[in-house]
Amino acid sequence: LPLCPHDLAKSQRKCVSAEVSDKLKTNNILVVDDSPTMRRMVITSLGALGKVKSTQAGSGLEAIERLAIEPVDLMVLDLNMPDMHGMEVIGFVRSHQAYRDIPIVVLTTKGEETSRTEALAAGANRYLTKPFDPRQLADVVGSLLNAS
Amino acid sequence: MDDPNPDNHGEFFDQFLDDYYVECDEHLVSIRRSLVTLEDEVDAGAIDRALLDNLFRSFHTLKGISGMVGLGEAEQLAHHLESYLRELREGSLSLSAPGFEALVAGVSLLESVINARRNDQAIPSIHEAVGRLQTISSGPESAVAPAKRDSSTNESTRIRWQVEFTPTAELAERGVNVNSVRSRLQELGQLVQAKPVVKGAGEIAFEFIVVTDADEKDFTGLEADGLTFKPAPIEQAPVTGRQSVPTIAPASVVRVDLDRLDELMRIIGELVTSRTRLDDQLTDLKRVAPPALWRSLQETSLTVGRQLRDLRESVMRVRMVQIGEIFERMSFVVRDLARESGKKIIVQLSGGETEIDKFLVERMMDPLLHLVRNAVSHGLETVAEREAQRKRTEGTLSLGAMTAGERIVIKIADDGRGIDRNLVLERATAKGLNPGDAEIDDGALLDLICTPGFSTRDEADRESGRGVGMDVVKKAIEELGGRISLATNIGEGTTFTIELPLTLAIAEALIVSVNGQRFAVPQSAVREVLEVESASTRVLENNEIISYRGKVLPLLRLARVFEMDDQRGANFHVLVLGEETNAVGLAVDRILGQREIVVRAIKDPLAQSKGIAGATELGDQRVVLILDIGALRHLATTSRH
Repeated sequence: LPLCPHDLAKSQRKCVSAEVSDKLKTNNILVVDDSPTMRRMVITSLGALGKVKSTQAGSGLEAIERLAIEPVDLMVLDLNMPDMHGMEVIGFVRSHQAYRDIPIVVLTTKGEETSRTEALAAGANRYLTKPFDPRQLADVVGSLLNAS
Repeated sequence: MDDPNPDNHGEFFDQFLDDYYVECDEHLVSIRRSLVTLEDEVDAGAIDRALLDNLFRSFHTLKGISGMVGLGEAEQLAHHLESYLRELREGSLSLSAPGFEALVAGVSLLESVINARRNDQAIPSIHEAVGRLQTISSGPESAVAPAKRDSSTNESTRIRWQVEFTPTAELAERGVNVNSVRSRLQELGQLVQAKPVVKGAGEIAFEFIVVTDADEKDFTGLEADGLTFKPAPIEQAPVTGRQSVPTIAPASVVRVDLDRLDELMRIIGELVTSRTRLDDQLTDLKRVAPPALWRSLQETSLTVGRQLRDLRESVMRVRMVQIGEIFERMSFVVRDLARESGKKIIVQLSGGETEIDKFLVERMMDPLLHLVRNAVSHGLETVAEREAQRKRTEGTLSLGAMTAGERIVIKIADDGRGIDRNLVLERATAKGLNPGDAEIDDGALLDLICTPGFSTRDEADRESGRGVGMDVVKKAIEELGGRISLATNIGEGTTFTIELPLTLAIAEALIVSVNGQRFAVPQSAVREVLEVESASTRVLENNEIISYRGKVLPLLRLARVFEMDDQRGANFHVLVLGEETNAVGLAVDRILGQREIVVRAIKDPLAQSKGIAGATELGDQRVVLILDIGALRHLATTSRH
């Protein structure tokens, strides 16, 4: 799916992601979800950003291990996962100096118990629901990377 | 951002449909497994929390991914199943029998919905199932909040260890990561806590608490991988709420399309053929090459052959899946049938861990379903009938599997009424099947009930067999190079035994020649090879026979089957096919040898021929036809009448 093809440029909307990806070095995005299919969907959607590298984690614990091993520029985080709930991951990341500035996009299934307000209060930067719009996800991620 | 057309991602997400179906299958398998365990907890008041968590998460994931691929019915249904599970998990509802039934029905429908989409069929209505789940969720049965069973109770004699693991990129490269450490600790004991901590310099570590009987020396092996351990402080807070207890270990598993493995198998097949060619050339070379050189060439060729076999076995192992998965499906079918028919049935599963080729499993699904349905509808009696015979009220249906050498054996047994020989004989006579003398053994009985068009109960069969008859079952099994046998006793029950090859693509075969033409006979079908003098055959009622082990063995001349010139020498060879009294002798001119052959199906309908199962290529690059033993035996038995 081309993110910013000519037909989109025709509309007045500014094509955020294309601008962003021009300026960026390769960013490492950590995609955390216990469903491999969902991870592929997210990673493919983010591919539209161009210069990004995606790392995957299938659980909260794995996500934190990735943080220990390599620099992460942004997290796309599911909430309801085995081992460690996404809210716990947010809590952990936000309470430790070395990681507290990593932007977190919560991507959770509609109807989840954890509300948008709760997640944002805990420190998530954005709260999106599944089913998600691939372009919206790429735009949100792109603009967060641009801002940081 | 405003999307002018919110539905235009459909195409984008279509590219993930295959992944979606695979993941759905995985979750449905895991759900069915959990439901089997959950059934014992109906009305028990206390349910294993980990079990509920797993179920809940599977529904949750199915809901999420179904929404992404736009399968709204599956999304909604999974949502309602998830909601019910949430209430069970939170203890606001206890698991009742109607609740469990609604859960099972919901899962079956969820599977149908997903399959309907996969097969481009009309999506079944979910209205009723959703209503049922809603009624149960809001029903008045929540009077007693169940006490959650604490799975970590009996730990007084066990020691709590605190293990700390600091991940690094180097360790990760060696495969030592938070998941592998967790799996190892789970082997040592019960993991009650797994949480990340940040150490002084800002480095991340994981703290595990393991409750175990294992002593200190069991932990020492872990030190090499940067783990430290010490007895856990007593005042550890109990694990509650969202603080999660690890339940599943998503090990390092890759999913591979079966087509890709077929391709790999095809390449290995070609290698096997090339090796055979090399072998033939070596034989030619023996006369001219210096002996020392020839021997070393020969040795290399043998090594390559051995390595090829190893390679082939490794790829075969990749294709293997556990048969337990379909056994669990069967037990659900039995549940439904038992409920519909008012019979009480206990299902016993054994050998579920037995591995079988994925392709075979899929082909065996319908035959197994048919046999299981038959056992429930015809084999097992009603409660009243069983009581009248002083049998246990509950009938038993057991499904078992085991490997025996290069073959897998599946048994489907019931302790029901057994098959009534007289009834079958009457029926056969009425159908003009001419069953012959009154005494028939189990083998002949099986042949009779597997005759196309034969059925002791038309009405019930249609219901129990869903359009598949025993003839189709037998044919399907024989097409896979397997065989089925029967043992039945009146009043005691019936057992069907199915033997299948472990894999299909490469088989051991005898290469035979008839009239100068070569054929391959799958060795698994051959019981014995005889050398016979032409003078010793007799003709009885237009059938050529020889005596064999004190009995009569009808002969089937391959030359005649394929309408070739029947040139007979003084001697010929007979391959004995089939069991005991149903045995048939396949008469061929010569046996050329034994070979590993690569089976290729003949797909072109113009080239298909009765009695031929496929083709293979031998070392000299000439094509050799593989005989279809099932069809040939059928020809032999029908030509007798």
